[in-house]
Amino acid sequence: MITVKDIEHLATLSRVKLTDEDKESLAMEFDAILGYIDRLKKLEVKIDAEGRVGAVKNAMRPDEAAPRSPAERERLLAAAPDREGDYIAVKKIIAQD
Amino acid sequence: MNIDLKKLTIATAAAHLKAGDFTAVELTQAYLDLVAAKNREVNAYLEVFTDAITQARAADAVIKDGRQGPLTGIPCAIKDNILIQGRLASAASRMLQNYRAAYDATVIAKLKEAGVVFLGRTNMDEFAMGGSTENSAFGLTKNPHDLSRVAGGSSGGSAAAVAMDGALFALGTDTGGSIRQPASFCGVVGLKPTYGAVSRYGAIAMGSSLDQIGPLAKTVADAELVFKAIRGRDAFDSTTIDENTYNEPYAEHRTSKTAGRKPRVIGVPRHFLKDGVDAAVLGSFEAALASFERKGYEIQEIALPNISAALMVYYIIMPAEVSSNMARYDGVKYGLHIDGKDGIDDYFETRGAGFGREVIRRILLGTYVLSSGYYDAYYNRANAVRKMITDEFHKAFESVDVIATPTAPGPAFKIGEKTTDPVAMYLEDIFTVTANITGMPAISLPCGTVVREGAGLPIGLQLTAGHGHEQRLFDIGRDFLNEE
Repeated sequence: MITVKDIEHLATLSRVKLTDEDKESLAMEFDAILGYIDRLKKLEVKIDAEGRVGAVKNAMRPDEAAPRSPAERERLLAAAPDREGDYIAVKKIIAQD
Repeated sequence: MNIDLKKLTIATAAAHLKAGDFTAVELTQAYLDLVAAKNREVNAYLEVFTDAITQARAADAVIKDGRQGPLTGIPCAIKDNILIQGRLASAASRMLQNYRAAYDATVIAKLKEAGVVFLGRTNMDEFAMGGSTENSAFGLTKNPHDLSRVAGGSSGGSAAAVAMDGALFALGTDTGGSIRQPASFCGVVGLKPTYGAVSRYGAIAMGSSLDQIGPLAKTVADAELVFKAIRGRDAFDSTTIDENTYNEPYAEHRTSKTAGRKPRVIGVPRHFLKDGVDAAVLGSFEAALASFERKGYEIQEIALPNISAALMVYYIIMPAEVSSNMARYDGVKYGLHIDGKDGIDDYFETRGAGFGREVIRRILLGTYVLSSGYYDAYYNRANAVRKMITDEFHKAFESVDVIATPTAPGPAFKIGEKTTDPVAMYLEDIFTVTANITGMPAISLPCGTVVREGAGLPIGLQLTAGHGHEQRLFDIGRDFLNEE
């Protein structure tokens, strides 16, 4: 049984603001969804999987900065909601008391 | 020459372009006219590009020089979660409503090189989460075969664009069935390639171990052409494979009975078709099997003991990956920003306002299954079962060439029919998720229609092959549809 309090905790962890109405309906939907996926717990499983899909392997590359053109850098910076020169601007994260 | 868009395929259009029967500009204009007439109702396209004719002119110049390839001047549609530099790419979300792509996705760079004409970007469920395109922040897409029904999802706009003759092909993405199920609902061909066959660079990520880009087209031959144009290893996506990664002699694992012969054994997991499948879908499926038998194929019943767990595995692994991938939308680097009272409050405000209901549901679900204390019971267990199911498929492919199931449990459903019941909507993916869980390629083929309330609704047949064996799907698919 998932409570509104559980949903609030998950929303805090996920950094999502929810309305009270959303919390109520999400709690109900969670019960239905978890009721479905909880059936997996009945299956006999040896848990030692590598979690690998097909022949996909880790591909490494040298830890070097790749050269980027100024135009490309400008396009990426231009997407930021707030910037100062070549920096992306955010609010202060350390408060002064 | 009068251009009959209904009959046109990529192959025939390319022949006409080469012969000079019409130009790429004329062809593109014909599509623009049709989209102008039909899109208001269907809403397949979120945006039609104003420079389509300019692109077509460039293609005409290439054709005039005799330097054209099979896709030069071919008008296509691109799902709104695949980046084309300088154009909006919203993933049908308020979060990215005004986001302009800073670079080309690898598939887009390849298609540009091939000389296609991009007509526009197509509607989808927000961030590709959904099975009906009803989760788009910009209005749902209607099924061209019956406007009271959904086009399927999440690539519903791409499927509807091709089905209404509004593009010769479209690209979609498929995380749990998002190419194949809308292809089934709209009566077109849709391919989910082997995991890693097509680069995901520049595709807006949803579930990174499951996502693949693939084509939707009117014929198997067209889907094959597009697949071969977009596949390949890519330095920007380390999970990509090349053509030879899974290369093995066609019949290496096969029994001596069928070794060396053309693909001819079709496996059917009958135990998996007992519950929850529409009678008309079962009827069309049996008719398809009978047609295969008449063509000389052998139908073999197979057992995939844990296949019914695939959907549960999917609804653990997918939200876990979604919750991680969606963390990047923080209102700082790009996309929507809503000001809060301090830095962390910016996140809450931005994400609360930018994400729709289904996206939030999956973020929270993913956060839940990854929580300390639940991790073993959900995520680890799901990964172990994922491996079990994949092994079962490998075993089945020792004796069969492809595995056949319906693509979806029913034909297109009514708009609004499943929006209030997430589990009912999730069950739409029951036959398609296995290919994403196993990383194997699967194709949806048009397989007849059923008449409901006076409208003929398409039904899809799904064929799955082992890793790297797209060619089997194309060969058998062409045979099934009696393509030249």
